[in-house]
Formats: sequence, structure tokens, C-alpha cells
Amino acid sequence: MVDITLRVNGATRTASPEVRKTLADFLRDDLNLTGTHVGCEHGVCGACTVIVDGRAVRSCLMLAIQAAGRDVTTIEGLAPDGGMGPLQQAMWDSHSFQCGFCTPGFVMQATAFLADHPDAGEQQIREALSGNICRCTGYQSIVDGVLLAAERDRER
Amino acid sequence: MTAIAAERYTGASIKRSEDPRILTGRGRYVDDIKLPGMLHAAFVRSPLAHARVLSVDASAARALPGVVAVLTGADLDAMTDPALDPLLAMFGGAGPMPEFTLLATDKVRLVGDPVAIVVAESRYLAEDGCELVEVEYEDLPPVMSAAFALDPSSPPLFANLGDNIARPRSRNEFGDVAGTFARADRVMDFHIDVHRHQNVPMEGRACIASYDADLGLMTVYAATQSVHLTRNGVSTRLGMDPDKVRVLAGDIGGSFGLKIGASREEQAVAAASRHVGRPVKWVEDRGENLTVSGQAREESFDIRAAISNDGDLLGLDVQMVIDTGAYPGMGTMVPSIVEGMLPGPYKLAALGFESTAAITNKATYVAYRGPWASETFIRERILDLIAKDLGLDPVEIRLRNVAPRTDPPALMITGRPLVGVTTKESLDRVTELVDYPAFRRRQAQAREQGRYLGIGVATFIEAAPGPRQGPDAGLGMEAMRLRLEEDGIVALFTGQMPHGQSHQTTLAQIAADEFGVPFEQVRVVVGDSAVVPFGLTGGSRSATMTGGVALHGARQLKAKVLDFAAHLMEASAQDLLITDGNVWVRGDPASAIAVTEIAARAASGEFGADVDAELEVQATYDGGEGGWSGGTHCAIVEVDVETGLVKVERYVAAEDCGALINPAVVEGQIRGGIAQGIGAVLLERSAYAEDGNFQSATFMDYLMPTTCDVPRIEIEHLETVPLDADVNFRGVGEGGMIVAPPTIVNAIEDALSPFGVRIYEQHLPPARILELIAAAGE
Amino acid sequence: MKLPLFDYEAPETVSETVELLAEYGDEASVLAGGQSLIPLLALRLARPAVLIDINGVAELSGVSATDGWTAIGAVTREYMAEESERVADAVPLLAAALPLIGHEAIRSRGTIGGSLAHADPAAELPAVARALDAAFVVRGPSGERVIPAAEWFEGYLTTSRRPDELLVEVRFPAAGRGTGVSFQEVARRHGDFAIVGLAASLTLSDGAISDARLALAGVAEVPVRAGAAEELLVGERPSAELFDEAARRATEDVDPPDDLHGSSDYRKKVAAAIVRRGLREAADHARERQ
Repeated sequence: MVDITLRVNGATRTASPEVRKTLADFLRDDLNLTGTHVGCEHGVCGACTVIVDGRAVRSCLMLAIQAAGRDVTTIEGLAPDGGMGPLQQAMWDSHSFQCGFCTPGFVMQATAFLADHPDAGEQQIREALSGNICRCTGYQSIVDGVLLAAERDRER
Repeated sequence: MTAIAAERYTGASIKRSEDPRILTGRGRYVDDIKLPGMLHAAFVRSPLAHARVLSVDASAARALPGVVAVLTGADLDAMTDPALDPLLAMFGGAGPMPEFTLLATDKVRLVGDPVAIVVAESRYLAEDGCELVEVEYEDLPPVMSAAFALDPSSPPLFANLGDNIARPRSRNEFGDVAGTFARADRVMDFHIDVHRHQNVPMEGRACIASYDADLGLMTVYAATQSVHLTRNGVSTRLGMDPDKVRVLAGDIGGSFGLKIGASREEQAVAAASRHVGRPVKWVEDRGENLTVSGQAREESFDIRAAISNDGDLLGLDVQMVIDTGAYPGMGTMVPSIVEGMLPGPYKLAALGFESTAAITNKATYVAYRGPWASETFIRERILDLIAKDLGLDPVEIRLRNVAPRTDPPALMITGRPLVGVTTKESLDRVTELVDYPAFRRRQAQAREQGRYLGIGVATFIEAAPGPRQGPDAGLGMEAMRLRLEEDGIVALFTGQMPHGQSHQTTLAQIAADEFGVPFEQVRVVVGDSAVVPFGLTGGSRSATMTGGVALHGARQLKAKVLDFAAHLMEASAQDLLITDGNVWVRGDPASAIAVTEIAARAASGEFGADVDAELEVQATYDGGEGGWSGGTHCAIVEVDVETGLVKVERYVAAEDCGALINPAVVEGQIRGGIAQGIGAVLLERSAYAEDGNFQSATFMDYLMPTTCDVPRIEIEHLETVPLDADVNFRGVGEGGMIVAPPTIVNAIEDALSPFGVRIYEQHLPPARILELIAAAGE
Repeated sequence: MKLPLFDYEAPETVSETVELLAEYGDEASVLAGGQSLIPLLALRLARPAVLIDINGVAELSGVSATDGWTAIGAVTREYMAEESERVADAVPLLAAALPLIGHEAIRSRGTIGGSLAHADPAAELPAVARALDAAFVVRGPSGERVIPAAEWFEGYLTTSRRPDELLVEVRFPAAGRGTGVSFQEVARRHGDFAIVGLAASLTLSDGAISDARLALAGVAEVPVRAGAAEELLVGERPSAELFDEAARRATEDVDPPDDLHGSSDYRKKVAAAIVRRGLREAADHARERQ
């Protein structure tokens, strides 16, 4: 056990997770933030993606204690009171998802990517999301959601 | 006076009601659920493919702090009843039943076979506990191929069977097989293999079993395609009255056929919960999912084709061997479906079909999106091979062989009527959309520059739900309870169990239109075996069956509500309308009363026995005229002949799935299936070594298609032939996955035709492409 | 797939780290980015008694230049190296390889030192380090030593780092004018490990090749310098025939592994193809940088 303090979705949290517990399991089990999903536990599928200090990371490949002192954003933290931010809204409008299990990972990865590349085109978006696996959609609707969000952002 | 307009939801891409929770991380999947006192399970699993279990010593594991119980195969055997796989129980297995225990007791039959269950305070501790269980094995020779399994010298996996045949060889003939072959201009022989690959939903199998000893009730939170089949699987195994088992399901992270009934592990979890008297959760990890949850498609075919010199496919004689893995399940039923579907939308006059199913030390063959898909693969593959041999264009040979649409409809030689099939239209449309002649010119130019482009087409039909076989033959029965709730919500209680199909949106669209309320005023209730009628989401049937029962049920509910409203409004029910959530007298908009008010009045108890204020109907629907879905797909690929890498440059689908409830939902289903087909051909293989070791147990070896592997997919919806006055929605869930593999393989072979390559298999990773090129050169 | 039990240390300085390594030796694993180690732990293939987390050792991060060398601290995140203008200018071969490492989220955490200490022969950075004769600076109880890349990679996932030593820095020689690079990779999908890969660097002087460096990934247990091909190239003018012959020489003696993603024969064939492609690209790039 190691005592840690970190910020999660804007709130300061303190906890004493087991040393071997991954950040993904910590978020889900200890903080009850079950929006972050676990799809493979070996860093390939991207379902566990969260944002740490502004960068998308695979939370299954971080120990919880490594997040000490860091600023973590999960899908629950993207918009206030369970509402939807512009990316989520664009994905809703684009019918981006089906079963929803991969969704939080895609939303967080796309959020981080668009923050740094607001003018990205389709090919760039596809490459940026190529580390997130979806089994249901064939990806086109997801890419369309990201493109729509970027377009709307430019119009603002 | 202004008329109140009715909204039309059906046919529009209404935004999903599932999405607000899905997009904000508020979905509720099994692993999101926490119950007080809940424990976690992990399984001790065999490292060997085939071995006798000599001893299991759980003493060290039981002593580990945090481990609450360890139940071995023998322990579980003593506390449970024998039970059949629920799908087999429903449809009847086609072969002798192998005898085996819930978890392995005397034998393990595949790598990963569960031997014991460890229940602990956390999954971490449960896995620690698993490592402390000592199992002594005596290695046995593994049976790693169907060929060896069919050889009498192979060591039988099941003592009571005496051999490794799950379904003895059987043969059927349709039409005059001998005569057709005797009269044919030529006969061609092919051997085609389809490789093992698997469902891989992003959420694996998962359940929480919670036994309440005081009440003798088992509650199971499941990821399943049918809460009732899961209930049956658990109750039978536990020797419990089904009414004492309640299965609840919320959001499910995909399934594609995997999560049906209750797996051995889930049954063990339920038994464990009853034993320890606390809730027990099991969430399969990716290694388990890939290694043991189930695999599919490993089939081989010897095909003899009777052909005319002009390219008529007159007859087929096919021998099929299916590798059903260890613990055979529905795989034994697949050959019959393949046989029935094999003629497709063509004029095939004769079919001989022989099949057998082999038992091997591999994961069980499970249903995977279009379990019979190999029939389309082999048929569409040999059409191309025959075309090449005769110097015909692939589109030309298909147009020649397609059964024309007649009235009465032509019958497939295996019996089903080809009613309303628009195959010819789809072939014409797809070639138009890709500008087939222009592509051939571009292909020729590219070849001069040393670039290898190819185009492939394949056509299919899908029984979604399939045609009515005759005036008295139904398509099954789908039930739905519809109720106008006290608060004015129109509630649909269905046994459908959506896991990506968007039923909570599509069924609401239909009911909203038929009943006359806004979309938001309809709620689709799923996932509680105590509350919803029997159902199963699978087989691409829900659009017709459930869409149909929603439509007719909403009408019946509306009639009932109007009868009741007639009392309130002192009008005749025939003069009443419901539009936009209001009941009003025809021609008098000022008379409008909100449905919510009508509902509140009905629930108020103010009416006597002479007024039926119970605003609920139990509807059933037999599928009406049913119908086929189908279409033609076309892919353009480029093959890098130095590396063997294949890029799918363009993919076009001309589809007929009847009337669309929600086009965006339909297109999502099609694209998802196509992605799986691309994955199957280029990336995915469930690989076993000769010693039985499973080699694709992580996502680094089982490769899933990504955003860079699946192109934009253009979909054109064809005008359908309506068969029914009201219900012309047809299913679309499986078609993409059925027809994409031959589409892609046909395109690859076309790209490599300058090398003389001929392809008789479905899995074409880069190394294989180079091998095929080299072999063709010899 | 939950991680097994281990003890955990989080030193804040290099000397603290070295002390811990001296104490635990090969019972310890060093945790940097974790993108390779944590999956091994999750699969329970790695079972260290102690995990020494060096992410808190601030002095191990950073990119600096000294004497024609670019020094990168071992815990420098891959994404930082990717964004570094210094790296882009001075070590273009590294800059070319970095975007091919996995996906952005991997590079958010993965480190330059971590990848090189893990030494997967199919990974991008080992081939780059081998091609450029990078220098590996390790510190142990008896002080610092510098290990040339040729001696760093010993076997599959094995380096010459002693259990009581910490990799603190990797130094890459700066590319001069007239030096062009190419990183080629054949992978099953975008972002995957290479089935085979090539790190190539060519220097042109008066139109002739004055320096040639070719390192292959995925053809052996370590990244392989194609010495015979390099010898052939030096002194010659670039041409298709020359590059064909170089490709032949680079691959005739390799005996690549067989696995699910490619047979030995396949890897050999494709290695030759990417040597040709890589040399063409490096030569073009060299001409641009004259």
C-alpha cells in the first residue's frame, strides 16, 4: 500500500491502493468511476484510455500509485453533471457507437488528439485512433463523429 | 382548424436513446456492478491440450489469506446436476452426446480447460490463489486436426464416445445428382479450407451470481443474448426450479453469437455463489476469451462442380468436415444450415451434401455471426474459379446463374422459396457504382507500372428471417408485452437482448409511429427474465420478428386505449385518433386529451368492472411473410507483391434488407460485419501449435482490424420487393460478415491473376500471399 | 490478467536507484514507461520480487547536445523526443522511427531508455541505436561506463547491462550535412511491431556514398548491422543495381525466426525489399540535405 493524492476529474482524491493495482482498476474499483473500461489488460485495445496531465494514456499500463500528484481525466469528467461535450454530441449525431464498450477509450483518445490537432483530416484521425479497437462499427461512424466535432469546432 | 400532424420515425436515422449513457461512461456492464459482500472468481486452467487429471491439491490455495473457497471439478460435480448446452437443448444436438463434468475432473481437453474455481476477495487474490492450486497431469497425445480426429487411431477425448466424431458422416441429396453430373460438359474439383477465427467482443464473458439462501433465489447479472437461455442453463445445472433463478442484463459489450446460454464457467460461478452464500463475480480476461470462450469457422470442403461450357453451375457435390473443438456444441448443427443455404440465389439444380463433425483439443466451436457463412464463401469462391477457367467475367457468370425472380418464386433445390430476392438488381447496381469497366482499364495501367490492383464481387442471401415455407408454415413466434404505464409511457417488454443492435431505439421508433406518441414517450424494457417474455437476440431475426410484434402490438394497444378513451371522451372509438401524444376526436382538434392523462385516469381505479382500464396487451407475431435479405458486395484491393500486404482501397455494398427502421443503425451493422470479414481474411486466426498450445492468446497475436484496415464502406440500399402489408423490415446483422470474406478473397485473386494464383483458402496474411505467388510461379 | 505481488521502491536520484539495484540485483525490475513491463507483469511472465520505479528520478529526463552527440536521458518520454526540435535536426533517423512506435498513448508513457533496455529485436529504437552506433551510458556501484551499441544488444530481450547497473542516458551521433535517413517497417497493421524493419543512414559526398549504415529489426535475436552491404556501398554512386546487390548481401546470411506473423523465408524476402526501398529513400533524403 502506498498513500497517494491525485486529482481526478477536477477533484482531489486520496487513497491507499495496493502497489500492484493498475490505474484502470483503481479508477473503477476504488473511485467507482466505471466509465473507463478494461478490454485486454495488455495495452493493445485502448478501451482503458484516460487523460493524464493532458496526454492520453492506457490506464491498464500504469500503476495507480504512479498517478500520484497527477491530473487524471476520465470519461465521466469530460462534461459537467453527466452531460455531453461537443465531441460526445457530435458522436451522438453521427451514430458513432453500437455496444458502447470501446466508447470511453475512443472518446478520451479523440479528445486528446483533437486538442493538439484541431485541423486533422480523415487519414490523420484514422492513424491517431488506430490503437483503439472497436468490434461493432467498422470505424467509419466513429471517424465521422470526430470529423464532425472538428468541423463544428472550427465554425465556432 | 388545423390538423395535428403525426411524426414519422420509422425510416429515419433517429439518434439513439442508448447514447447519452454510452457516451458519458454511464453504461452498466456486468463488471460495473458491485454488490455488498461480493467476491471474485478466477479459474485454474490446464496448460495442456489433452491430459488425464491425476490429482488436484487446493490446500495451499485455500490457506491463502483472502481466498474464501476453492472448488475443484469433483467438488462442483457433487453439488450440481448434469446439463446440456442450452442451444443444443433447444434445437436438439445432431449426434451422440459426449459425457463430461462441469469442470474437468478426470481429463482436460484443451489448453485453458478449467479445473477449479478460486473465489477470493479480489480478482488479484483469486489469481494468486489459482497459482497455488497444484494439479498433477498425465500428458496424452493431442488431437489437433480434424483429419486426425477422424482417424480411428486418434485417442478419444470422451470415453463414452469411443472416437472423436461429434456427428457421424451423413449424406443428403437434392435433385438428380448423378444425372446432373453425368450430363455436365465438365466437372471441376476443389478443396477449400476456412480457418479458425473467433467472435472477440470487446467485453468478454462475464456474470455475477448472487444466491440468497433465505429465499432460495439465485440472481444472475449476465452478459447474454437471452436472459431466459441463461436462466435455463443455470437452473438446470443447479437443479433449481427456473422460477427461482432470475437473470438480469444491462449493457452488454458485444457478443456476435458468443454469449448464449450459460457457459461452464458461468454455471460454476453460480454453484460457487450458492456454496459460499455470497455474490460471486467472474469477468473473463482477454487471455481466457481468446483461449477458451469459443472459436468458429474451421471447416474444410471437398467440392465437385458440374458445369456447362457456357458457365452454368448445374450441380454441386460437397463433403464438409467441421472441427467442433472439445466439448462439442452448436457446431454439430452448422453443417445442416450450410447444406440448406448452399444453393444461394442461384439456379443450382442438384446438390449432394455429406458432412461430419470432428472433436479436437481446441476451444469449442460456437456460433459466430453467420455460423453457416462458409456456404457463401465456397460458393462465391468457386464461381470465380470456374469463371477463370472458362474465361468468363466474374460478374457475368453470376448474372448467368442467378435465379430470375418469378411468381411463384423459384425454389432453392434445398426447398426454400427465393421470394422477393433482388440479387440481379444488386449485381447490376454494384457494377454501376464501381464503374467496373473503368476499373479494368485502371487495373491494366497499374499492372504496367508493377502495381497489382484487383476487384472482387460476391453475392449472398441471408434468411433474415427467411421466407415463409408455405401458407401454414410460420417463422417462429415472437412475443411482446405492451403497456401504457401510469405516467403515459408506452412500455414494450421484449425478450430481445440488445448488445449493440440499438433495439431500445428502433423498436421505440416503430411503436411511436404506430401508437401515435413522440419517440421519447416509448420505453423498451429488456434484460429481466422475471419481467420480459422469452426471447433471443440472434439469427438476424429481430427486425422482422420483433419489429413486427412491436408494430402489431402497438396497434393492438392503441385499439385498447382508444376503447378506454372512448368512455372518457364520450365518443366512439372509431372516431378517435392518437397523434403526437394526444387522443382526439377526428375533425375536432380542440378535443385533444394527452395520452398521459388518459393513462393516469386508467390507473386511478375510478372505473368499474364494465370498463377495461387495464391498458396492456400480450402480442405475438409469427413473422408474416418474412423474407430474405441479401445483396452484392464489391471490393477493390491493392496487393504489394514484395511484402504481401493488402490494402482495401474501396468497398461498395448494394444491399436489400427490406424496409429500413433506422438507416444509420442498419449501416452500422453492415459495416461492422464487413470489418470482421476483412479481419478474417487479412488478420485474424485462432492458431494452435501441433502440441496443442494455443498461440493467439493476446491481442499481439490475435490481430483485430483497426481504423487503418477498414476503408470507408459505401452502402446503397436497393428498393425492396414488399411481401407484407405492414412488416417488411428484414434483418441485417450477419450479412456483412457472411459475404465480405469471399468479396475480399475474390479481389485478391483478381489482383494476383497475372501470376496465375488460385486461392482455396480464406486466411491470407502477407507471408501466405508471397507463398501463393511463388507457388504459382513453379 | 492481474499483476502478481511485488515490493515497490520509488527512488528519487540515480545513486539511490543504483543502491537499490546493488541490493536486489536480478530480483528487481526497473519500471520506466511500463509499456513493455506492465503487460509482462499482467501476463505473469515477469515475476520480479521488487519493482524499482524510476519515473521520479528527474535527472534522467531531457535532451541535450554535447560535442556532436545528442544525449537523451533514459526516462525521456518517447513523445517528448518526438516533439524535440533538437532530435529532429540532429538525429533524423530517430525522428523518423519514433512515430512508428505503437500509438500515441504508448508514446505518452514509453521512454527512450526503457525501449532500449527492453531490447526487443523487432522494435524500432534498437535498430536505430545499432545503425548509429549509439552509446549507452550506465551507472553502477563502481561508477559510470559507456557501452557502444554493438556491445549493448546481447540476445533476445537481453543487454549487457549488469543487474546492478542503471541505464541513465543514450547518446546518438549528430547527422551531418549530406546524411540522409530512412526508417522502413513492414508491420501487419499501423503501429504494430515490425515483422522486419530497417534503420538506414547514407552520407553522400560528391555524389558518392561516404558512409552507409544499415540495421535490420526482426531478423535475429538482436538488431543486425548489415556490414557486408555497408562495405559494398561505401565509395559507390547510388544506383538501382547497387541497391539490389546491397539488399542481397544484407539478407543472404540472416536466419530470421519463424512465427505466427511470418516465416523465416518471408522475413528474408521482405527484408531485402525494404533494404532496397530504404536505400532509395535515404539517398533521396541525403541529396536534399547537401
